[in-house]
Amino acid sequence: MRWRISCASKRCHGTIECMYNTMRHTAYGQSGPSIPLGPLPLVEARLCAALLVALAALVFCMLATPAHAATGGSEPIEGSAVSDGAGFGINGFTRYQKGAERPVGTQDVGYRFPIAEGASFAVVCTPESVLVYVEPEAAEASGFDAADASDTEELRSLIEGLDEEASRGGALLAEADKPWVFTSEDTYREGAYCYRFFLAIDGRTYCAVEPAQLAPGETPSQAAEAQGLDLGAGALWCDSGALVSASEVALVDPPTMFEQVQTFLATVDMRPFWVSIKTSAVALVLTFALGLVAAWRTMGTSSRLKGLLDSVFTIPMVLPPTVCGFLLLLLFGRATPVGRWFIDHGIALVFTWPAAVISAVVVSFPLMYRTALGAFESLDPQMLDAARTLGWSERRIFTRLMMPIAWPSIAAGTVLAFARAMGEFGCTLFFAGNYAGITQTIPIAIYFEWMSGNTDVALFWVSVVILFSFCVILLINLYTARSQRYRARGGMPRRGLMGKHGAAATDVQGDMLEDSGGDALRIDRDALRELMGTSSDAVARAAGSGAQDGAHAGASEDASTDAPAQRPSHRNGGA
Amino acid sequence: MKNMMSRRAFVGASAFAATGLLAGCTTAEKPAGSAGSAPAAAEDEGGSASAVELQIFAANSLEKAMPEVEALYTERTGVTFADTQYKGSGDLVEQMRGGAPVDILITASSGTMDDASEAGLIDDSSRQDMFTNELVIVRGENADVTVNSLEDITATEGGIAIGEPGAVPAGKYANQALASVGLYSEPEGENGTYDASIADRVVVADKVGTAAQYVSTGDCTLGFVYTSDVYRYEGIEVAYTCPDDSHKPIVYPGAVATSSENAGAAADFLDFCMGDEDALAIWAEYGFELA
Repeated sequence: MRWRISCASKRCHGTIECMYNTMRHTAYGQSGPSIPLGPLPLVEARLCAALLVALAALVFCMLATPAHAATGGSEPIEGSAVSDGAGFGINGFTRYQKGAERPVGTQDVGYRFPIAEGASFAVVCTPESVLVYVEPEAAEASGFDAADASDTEELRSLIEGLDEEASRGGALLAEADKPWVFTSEDTYREGAYCYRFFLAIDGRTYCAVEPAQLAPGETPSQAAEAQGLDLGAGALWCDSGALVSASEVALVDPPTMFEQVQTFLATVDMRPFWVSIKTSAVALVLTFALGLVAAWRTMGTSSRLKGLLDSVFTIPMVLPPTVCGFLLLLLFGRATPVGRWFIDHGIALVFTWPAAVISAVVVSFPLMYRTALGAFESLDPQMLDAARTLGWSERRIFTRLMMPIAWPSIAAGTVLAFARAMGEFGCTLFFAGNYAGITQTIPIAIYFEWMSGNTDVALFWVSVVILFSFCVILLINLYTARSQRYRARGGMPRRGLMGKHGAAATDVQGDMLEDSGGDALRIDRDALRELMGTSSDAVARAAGSGAQDGAHAGASEDASTDAPAQRPSHRNGGA
Repeated sequence: MKNMMSRRAFVGASAFAATGLLAGCTTAEKPAGSAGSAPAAAEDEGGSASAVELQIFAANSLEKAMPEVEALYTERTGVTFADTQYKGSGDLVEQMRGGAPVDILITASSGTMDDASEAGLIDDSSRQDMFTNELVIVRGENADVTVNSLEDITATEGGIAIGEPGAVPAGKYANQALASVGLYSEPEGENGTYDASIADRVVVADKVGTAAQYVSTGDCTLGFVYTSDVYRYEGIEVAYTCPDDSHKPIVYPGAVATSSENAGAAADFLDFCMGDEDALAIWAEYGFELA
């Protein structure tokens, strides 16, 4: 009897000691003979893979940027074209799709188009024809002769080409199938309309459409209204530019692929990246703290309350993020009394950065909470009780015992939560909106850039996200490989390592007990063995009878016999 | 102990590297960031006098033209702009209702502006019609599909992108046009059903730009958008211009928001949009006709 008592107390003591050991193993890694790292080649392979992907992404980015003609030599800049044969060219070509029927200052000129600055010719596409007005001085200076059919043909093809460049999907002069009229008179009448070129008003120039019939003292707009004439229908669009001699055409070297990438990278707005990092980092800190505390607190409550709390904490994971966003918007928005109350009390969160953080916290919280709760619940309650018998406070048990042992699971949960916060879209869009530099995270930027037709920018962000995720996962794997190293080299025999450990290992392997009780129980046995100097059989008997609740221990032992095969896979999953 | 140290060193080094990366990139970000936010840079240079920053909510179709006008205005006056929101007009009004701070609202239909007005979100005295637009049916560039009348769309194949009529005025106008030829049940363009010949081909878009993008990417064969959308998206062209009498007149009303703290500056900007010749040239370039 005396033996049993002393054994029990000794066992208890051993348990606590071993808990320390386990904790130290887990938290700091076990000191011991360094063995070649198993995961290292794997890590290298991953690093290579990541680099490959990075390279591929870069190439992809380069291809995604629109490539201009890659031929060598100089070529006209955008809005310029040159005809070497005819000896003239065009600079500063601009297309105005629509005009406006508004007075210029106080002067009513009818329906007018602006003319590009410095322009010396204008093209108006009318319902009937294409009117080309060339300023006589510019024609003379550039060597353009309106009477020369080859010159007009040449100018026409230049204009058609530039018009197509500037059309942005609108109708084309080239497809207009209308007669081209070249004029040097600044007024041209056609049907019910009178076209006036290069009207100079207040230092600017305009092309205007007026009614052909204009009573004295009547302004064009008044006349059009009186005649029921839609002046806007008289001119479909208007091109203008400067006609210059071939030598004056602005030329530029076509940018190389590298320059294009540089330009692209210099112009792309990097703010979504920083918003994403900032938002998910802050969200992660909050989620981590809240999730752990919630899991810790939930674990200790009665089963009914626990069920309720568990549902409340988990539901954001089950709900579509848009529902969370909508509820948050209702809660804090001006549309509801609750929201107004918040706003009146200085809590105006909607469409601000804190709203983006809250969204990320709400959707990532359940992941942290669930994994932490799962990890805590899988801890041996006897171990926690043992710690309590030693007078440890609950706080100390949490920080010194539960946290270190559950750390692999918690780390996994943290990663999940971070990934979820990074990828958050629906809730953020609802609750925080899409404000560039404030709440526009990468996922939101990808969607809106694509929707705005900036596919190259969207692709850029997609590559950034892929790269970033790779780096994060790589870092985590490296970190986990380090923190889990004790498992490979420590006392716990695992498949593949058993042979190396020789007799002691096979000895312990014999009864498989360590798999049910974890490190705690195993080391406990070591302590016992040392203490009593008996065989492992005796230890098993001693352990069985030494446990206060023998039936419970027996049950867990039985359950453990099937466990070893599952253990490694479970561990990998956790890592 | 040695391992413990090295582990801490590892974590520390990682943290240090991460911080360094963040810091390094933050400084590197400045020029790139200022490229994206010209107003912010101008504010720094502009100095003390005008710290006014305007928040504009503008119809999605203004997405390409408005930034240019804003940049011009910033250059002239030093007034800066917060990130302008370009969404479906209905979304913008809902967002305002939700409590988003706004100085100026420009929608793509009188109806959505009426909603804002009824909710007391805008200053009615500042309301003015800014632009007119045309409703067009677009197709992919060089697509082998011809539309010579609204009825012709029943003879085509593939999806037809139409804005969600509740939030996207262009969708409502499109439905009105369809209703004029009996392909939609409600002449008002909302809460109706499509004719069976096109019902299963209609793809609903959350913004007019999305409808244009669907056609641009080839996901849809045809789409109902504004003329101005054709100019701002690549790869689409006008297949057919809907007759003016097939739908309500398309006007873009603009107004100063009641919640605006810079109502005066906001009204000044609206005047600039409508009166300045350089601003008018930008609208003209993007195909917005002034009302």
